[in-house]
Amino acid sequence: MQNNYITFDHVTFSYGTQTVLKKISLNLGKGRTYALIGKSGTGKSTLLNLLAGFIKPEGGNITVNGEEISAPRKDIGFLFQDLGLFPWQTVFEAVSMPLKLLGRGEQAKLYVTGILKEMKLENHMDKYPHELSGGERQRTALARTLIAEPELLLMDEPTSALDAMTKEELQGLIIRELKKRRTTLIFVTHDIEEAILMGETILIMGENGAITQIENPYASIENAKEQLDFYEACINLRKQLNVGDQRGKEETL
Amino acid sequence: MMKDKKITENKLLGFISFLFLWELLHLLLKTHTVPSPVETIAYMLTVPAALATHSCASILRVAASVGISLIVGVPAGILLGIHKTCRRLLSPLLYFLYPIPKIAFLPVFMLLFGLGNASKIILVIFIIIFQIMLSVRDGVDQISALYFRVMDSFCVSALQRYRYLILPAILPQLFTGLRISIGIALASLFFAENYATTYGIGYYILSAWTKMNYTEMFSGILALGFVGILLFQILDRVEMHMVPWLKKEK
Repeated sequence: MQNNYITFDHVTFSYGTQTVLKKISLNLGKGRTYALIGKSGTGKSTLLNLLAGFIKPEGGNITVNGEEISAPRKDIGFLFQDLGLFPWQTVFEAVSMPLKLLGRGEQAKLYVTGILKEMKLENHMDKYPHELSGGERQRTALARTLIAEPELLLMDEPTSALDAMTKEELQGLIIRELKKRRTTLIFVTHDIEEAILMGETILIMGENGAITQIENPYASIENAKEQLDFYEACINLRKQLNVGDQRGKEETL
Repeated sequence: MMKDKKITENKLLGFISFLFLWELLHLLLKTHTVPSPVETIAYMLTVPAALATHSCASILRVAASVGISLIVGVPAGILLGIHKTCRRLLSPLLYFLYPIPKIAFLPVFMLLFGLGNASKIILVIFIIIFQIMLSVRDGVDQISALYFRVMDSFCVSALQRYRYLILPAILPQLFTGLRISIGIALASLFFAENYATTYGIGYYILSAWTKMNYTEMFSGILALGFVGILLFQILDRVEMHMVPWLKKEK
């Protein structure tokens, strides 16, 4: 595993006079899943937006695969909290758009049909977003992001608007699809259970973006929720989330 | 299918109600200035070729004006929506020119562009282009910032951004603007076609008025109404084809 696939080197970012991230340094490995949790306003989404190249750090630098991030890149995909599905595109059009943008429009039919089957959307190809359920919309956005085959996928609260059952279904789907593609995942969540179920490493953000990394053995267990100590781990993580500045700590659940 | 039949029935019922009210007005006023609808329709059937020729002349002028306004107004509207500096510089001028009754400039246009079709078409363009520009600008304004970010995440070129985001996003507002523009264009032609032409439904109506032939005048008004219906129906069809997601939302 490439341990410094993603590096944050003394990264600082402020909104006006309010410093959100202060000299953050972080190394993350390739092919792993990272859950980013923390209280509101600690800079989780800012960190994700910096990594995506949507915003630039005031100080320090960020690299992915050795190359500095200065703008959005084709090898980095982003699944937005509000999805950003265009109302004028059917499921098929939305999912085939990234291929057309990459100049691979002729492959669209084959690839899109395949991924829509994997996402159980093959019967909804001609539907517009307003005709889909929340879970179907989420799967469409995921398919649209994955079809461009990003090496790194960033997700901002991907399941926050879903009911419990749909959420569980989507969490399983995301992990299966990413493992198959060996995609690195960093996702922001407020859901402790989701962090433990999906994040092989949990990153807790504290004041000024201070980050604690916790190795999480439960993410690799097929039915983590059936383990007796799963909920104990959830309680432990919640306690750690409530502790203040934890810069530099590395722990295991 | 059933829904379409119902809509057609409703439209027919609306038209019959209009004729009924017109007949009522004719009976109440008892003046030859308001002829009966039956008399007017009967008159129309005696001069179908004349009405068709005049209507076609007006339709061609409207089509030319709308076409040119779209070619110029859509890019200008997008520019106003996207480039904040352009908006700051041009918006005051736009707001100044928009409410001015452009019809008053007809003599100037006739002087500059001659007495033929060009001056009439340019006058109508001058009247409707602001509507189209503002509709498009507002359409660009209403595009969610999230959609731009989605396009950024796919590292799109400027051309791809227009093709996949901006152009489809502005279509609903553009069609609203077009609907208003066609109405205004027809109303303006009624005035513009009174000068230096012998063709056009506006000319036909005012010529009948000066002759005090009110049946002929009303037949022209009715024909103008039918031209409006035709143009709006065409626009509805084009909109249904180009903006199918809105039809499904409704």
